[in-house]
Amino acid sequence: MLGKIKTKQEKGEIIAYSESAVVNNAAVVEYCRISMAALSGSTAGLLGLTGLYGFGFYIFAVFGLWAMLLLKAGGQWKKYFISRRNLLTSGFFGGLFISIWYGTCILIEKMFRFKGLYFLTKYVVN
Amino acid sequence: MPATALHKFITFIGLMSILHTAYSAAQHRSYLRITEQEFIALPIDILIQGIISLFIVMYGVMYIAGDFKEIRAVVDLENKSWETLRNLPSFQIFSHRGKSLAS
Repeated sequence: MLGKIKTKQEKGEIIAYSESAVVNNAAVVEYCRISMAALSGSTAGLLGLTGLYGFGFYIFAVFGLWAMLLLKAGGQWKKYFISRRNLLTSGFFGGLFISIWYGTCILIEKMFRFKGLYFLTKYVVN
Repeated sequence: MPATALHKFITFIGLMSILHTAYSAAQHRSYLRITEQEFIALPIDILIQGIISLFIVMYGVMYIAGDFKEIRAVVDLENKSWETLRNLPSFQIFSHRGKSLAS
């Protein structure tokens, strides 16, 4: 089905975009981005990366996801996305907060000390 | 390319690998605690395993999320001919003399 049509003028010629396809691609990217934020946050937590290191890890994961999305598009990102930079930056802060949330939940060090479950370490490890 | 069982399997393997990383990290910390050493950083192999398994899961999730659609509106129209525009289902006739001719 052909949805609404968006247009963009570029160097004198008008390109028409199918709205439903744009929304579909945005939904796919959003799904990947949220999963990536949760996963990178928890990985940073269990690797014990806090503060600026954790933030750096998130930036690294964002760039990784960007590269993988472009890889999935198969080098012809213009076929699937209007803007490549927007693909990198959209939802940055939302993802960051998800990442921080998961990171603090899973941070191993805290898991035992903060909740007074320190004694559990010996069961986990041995 | 739609998500296949292989992609789900890859995601599962990646998640298991992340859990294994967590277990290794916990074990390393407990080793340091028992030997009363200060924690500085995790061993490089645990770090690398964590990062690689993160990328494996991301790869699997990316395919599970769904396929991209071509955004140019022309692509949708390319498969359609002028006959499609003239096609009015309300005017289709199914009960005509062809039925008795065929029998």
